[in-house]
Amino acid sequence: MDRSASHDQRSRVIRRAGLFLVALFGVALIAPILAPYQPGEAFRDFINAPPMRPHLSGLTPSFHPLVLADRLESRFETDVTRSVPSPWVSQDAATPVFLMGADDFGRDIFSRLLYGARTSLGLALVAMLGAVAIGATAGAWAGYQGGWMDDAIMRTADFVLVLPVIYVVVVLRAVLPLVLPASTVFLLVTGIFILVGWPFVAKGVRAIVAGERSREYVQAAESLGAGRWRILMVHLIPACGGHLLVQATLLLPAFILAEATLSFIGLGFPDPIASWGTMLSGAANYNSVARFPWTLAPAVAIFIVVLATNLIASPRERH
Amino acid sequence: MGRYLARRIAFACVLVFVVSSAALLLTRLAPGDFAAVEGFELNSEQREQLRARYALDQSFATQYLSWLSGAVRFDFGQSLLYSRPVGELIGERALNTAVLATAALLIATLVGVPLGIYSGTTSGIARALVKSVSTIGLSIPPLIGSLLLVFIAARTGWFPAGGMTSTAGVDVPWAQWVADLARHLPMPALALAIPLAATLEKLQSESIASASHERFVTASRARGVTVSRSILRHAWPASLRPVLGLYGLMIGSLFSGSFAVEVVTSWPGLGRLMFDALKARDLFLVMGCAAAGAFFLAAGTLVADLLLAWTDPRVTTRDRA
Amino acid sequence: MNRQPRALLSVLLLAVAVFVGYRMFYSAPADDSTSTAIVISDRPTSGGTLTSSLRSEPRSFNRLVENRIPAEMYAMLTGAKLVRVNRATLEPEPALAEKWSISADNKTYTLTLREGLAWSDGAPFTSADVLFTFRVIYDPKVASPLASLFTIDGRPIVVTAPDPRTVVLTLPTTFGPGIALLDNLHLAAKHKYEAAYEAGTFARAMSVDTPPADLVVLGPFKLSNYAPGQRLVFDRNPRYWRKDVAGIQLPYLDQVVLEIVPDQNAELLRLQSGQLDTLQQQVRPEDLATLRPLEQKGQLRIVEAGVSTDPDAFFFNLRGSRWEKDPRREWITKKEFRQAISHAVDREAYANTVFLGAGVPIWGPITPGNRNWFDPNVRRYGHSVERAKELLAGIGLTNRDADEWLEDANGTEARFSTIAFRGNTSVERGAQLLRDELQKVGVRVDVVPLEQGEVIQRMFASDFESIFFSVAVTSLDPAMNSDFWLSSGSGHFWNIGQKTPATDWERRIDELMQTVMASADPGERKKAFDAVQDVFAEHLPALYFVAPRLYLGINAKVGGLSPAILRPQLLWNIDSMTIQAPR
Repeated sequence: MDRSASHDQRSRVIRRAGLFLVALFGVALIAPILAPYQPGEAFRDFINAPPMRPHLSGLTPSFHPLVLADRLESRFETDVTRSVPSPWVSQDAATPVFLMGADDFGRDIFSRLLYGARTSLGLALVAMLGAVAIGATAGAWAGYQGGWMDDAIMRTADFVLVLPVIYVVVVLRAVLPLVLPASTVFLLVTGIFILVGWPFVAKGVRAIVAGERSREYVQAAESLGAGRWRILMVHLIPACGGHLLVQATLLLPAFILAEATLSFIGLGFPDPIASWGTMLSGAANYNSVARFPWTLAPAVAIFIVVLATNLIASPRERH
Repeated sequence: MGRYLARRIAFACVLVFVVSSAALLLTRLAPGDFAAVEGFELNSEQREQLRARYALDQSFATQYLSWLSGAVRFDFGQSLLYSRPVGELIGERALNTAVLATAALLIATLVGVPLGIYSGTTSGIARALVKSVSTIGLSIPPLIGSLLLVFIAARTGWFPAGGMTSTAGVDVPWAQWVADLARHLPMPALALAIPLAATLEKLQSESIASASHERFVTASRARGVTVSRSILRHAWPASLRPVLGLYGLMIGSLFSGSFAVEVVTSWPGLGRLMFDALKARDLFLVMGCAAAGAFFLAAGTLVADLLLAWTDPRVTTRDRA
Repeated sequence: MNRQPRALLSVLLLAVAVFVGYRMFYSAPADDSTSTAIVISDRPTSGGTLTSSLRSEPRSFNRLVENRIPAEMYAMLTGAKLVRVNRATLEPEPALAEKWSISADNKTYTLTLREGLAWSDGAPFTSADVLFTFRVIYDPKVASPLASLFTIDGRPIVVTAPDPRTVVLTLPTTFGPGIALLDNLHLAAKHKYEAAYEAGTFARAMSVDTPPADLVVLGPFKLSNYAPGQRLVFDRNPRYWRKDVAGIQLPYLDQVVLEIVPDQNAELLRLQSGQLDTLQQQVRPEDLATLRPLEQKGQLRIVEAGVSTDPDAFFFNLRGSRWEKDPRREWITKKEFRQAISHAVDREAYANTVFLGAGVPIWGPITPGNRNWFDPNVRRYGHSVERAKELLAGIGLTNRDADEWLEDANGTEARFSTIAFRGNTSVERGAQLLRDELQKVGVRVDVVPLEQGEVIQRMFASDFESIFFSVAVTSLDPAMNSDFWLSSGSGHFWNIGQKTPATDWERRIDELMQTVMASADPGERKKAFDAVQDVFAEHLPALYFVAPRLYLGINAKVGGLSPAILRPQLLWNIDSMTIQAPR
């Protein structure tokens, strides 16, 4: 295969990866605008309410309100004699509109899904940026310097890579004090993710830098007296740009999943912070799954993010 | 080969050593200890007695050395939480996780490899279908997969929605126990196997596609060997190298994945045990779990590396890159 | 084939999957509502195996040393008492002691043991065993948790055994509960365990490693097999003393199996599939709907046992030293603050959210489920946000700035943290509801879920601001819970183990409790205890919101049910339970 075609292929992937990341970031940012309800807003009489389907009355969608039929069984009936407008138009506390149903506190799942996207994606993005930054620096340094520093960094990376990620994350989080506000949890978990994530980036960067090191432009810079840091920052790391972007795209779903797992087992964010993991932990008992499957919406959301990532970063075809 | 083996075994030992030391260090650094957690009804004097009884009041070095000396004799101490020897507990649970992991690996291989061979050597709609399913499968991590499968189990009743066995009463005939296990195993094993099968499919597909373009394969076809035989007998063995290499990496992800699956499907395995031990600050159990986990990881990686070395002699003679 | 069709195919496949999933989830699971009436014969049938569950692993089978739930269950199945309190009628009834007499001064009880009583290994049961048991309990080296129960007014009971069938107990002072005290006496076999006691290893006798043949018991069943992590199997004890009214040797059942199932969801699944006949404890309200279809089919029975007697409690750290340097000390320990909180919480919403409506509002630790001691005239704090705000303003908390939270005169925000048991649904949800309710009056609450062990550790170390707590009561008589009511008690959780009462009202409660504990006159005791509840309601050292109704799920084949409020709600009556068809 000739170089121009593979180069095109690569830049297409890079472009798509970049767009995808920007799109995710965008969704996360506009969550408060898009979500009809607050993530902590609980409707006490609508616990485990099912999703409501819109119908067209005239040109605008509207909904038949739900009425509580049996509280103990969380059974609801649709009142077809009445119609309420969509929640972005107007809201009435007595007749909430649940696009994806309500959870076991009576909170709107759709809104929490959006806010959860903000939390989960936000955390994953920040962790990813940190892991990329540290991994790139470490890998570039190792590749450029060579020698014992190269060995040390790469062996550490190898070691971390071999460990099962979730085990390490769980253990590290479990031994830290659990009396923590959400913001501290955010920082701590981000730190842990960066700690387990940097080797993935470092290895690739090191390989590229080791290869580029002997190229003419680097030697030219060296002979002109450019310092090591300058060479790394200005020349070598940018040369890994494509690789870094792809790695970033791959790290993202891994971190989203890790946060979901942590929150799922209770070591992540506390209630009422909406994150995809905390939403799943309330939903994952047999009772909930069998009778209120809409509470598993975050699982579908995670699937979609991971699928999108895989479609973007998949290897090229050969035929 | 001998040097390679020695190096890998050394790495494995280092891994176990570091992991168990880290486990001890971390658990000691953590606030609270077992006596505080469990002996809550006692006053401080009785709690000190409890600590002395379980040897929790010794220094880091003493504890580690005594654990180490015991570990060499396979005595990992007594679990404070379960009042049973740690070795026994870990043995049971590790066996359960091993059963799960083996089943998952088996399913992944039996599904992923043939599909990979197929998609790597044909074209057309069927191939596109396989590729799409594979991409979707790759996007269903074990946590999500297990939730989905629990949902399906709950709705259809095809298989039990959790646990490992449901035998009530005392002694159940062996055949019945196996049948019962066979009913409970598919769901968690599938949850683990789906992304693995997809990864295997992709890798196998790619490597056999490039292998079937090698000259010796074309040569065999020129000799009159049928297409399918040439693929299976010539191209496939040559394509196995990267696939076998993947098995080593998969051990780690199997461990990771099994944690989530065990929690969701209540499978009594090592991951769940470790988590309970961490919660209760059961020092010996945590260390035992960590050491066991590291051991199995190292062993699995070693076996995979040996397999790889056996098929590709270049690995053992190549300088450390 | 190139990329676009492949991507399209992925999307198509996805759409198919979504469609199938949608159909699966919008179609309700097949509900077979053809129910056949099952006639349950009330004639006791002999034989069969009953299977129940245990949520945690037993740590020891020595009930004199270990009092956690698994040991409690073990003792319930394998133990017999001198005098037993019938959990359904709440009256003491003769068990190993066939009759007793009480001296005129109410301080001496003389019990006559039945004739021909024997331990499961054949050795006779005599008053010497009772003496031995008391010796062990009072020995400080054994550190038995039962010691405090049998220590009255700081002094032990004097026990003598004039002959093998007579036991004389002399109490230091009169004791309110009377003979019912002996319901807590778990007996130990002298012939079997005296050697261990003399050697100082009594605490390790009857441990989980002891071979079942060496566990010598008096009760309806004895342990025959313990598979760690899996189950305990109990076989009928042919030497059990009790016969039913028709003269048939009890127990009716041949075998009882306790499956160890730590996960509540797994427990429920097994109950549904019939692998468990009943559960360790009550069914959660949210699980009732899952069990209802089975009830309609006649497979299960759901029994309402009544209103729970151990509601969740919310309390502040009332130890003065903890707040010395805290800027909130001016108001956070004041009773008006707690009264305001009690007014602010909508108890009906609490019952609806936390228990799905299956609960009754309460204002104190004694609930309507404790029918002998509940006082309906205890002060109630009606749901009133205005009254709450009034009370808060009275102690200096008003909204002085633009945000929604109240501040005191120094600008300190009205904010505190509350620790809740993680994993306990009712406690976690209750704490979250408390947070939401208090937000409406402008008080900010941070809910911190922690593991049970850590919560209790902090409680004992006085390292907390407030706690949302779940307690388990073992007796309905307040005199048996003196640890909670007395300021010197170890269960006086808002200020544990004070040497002298820190406040006047605690002193008042201590005084009143003396009457409750010492008086032999039930009327006098009730009056004094009503006064205790009044003081409690005024000062609110702990706040109570809702007591859930208890529902028990049992296989329809099980008979001989006598549901009680105290745990174990059904198995306390194990010797009279039957199962319709032998397994």
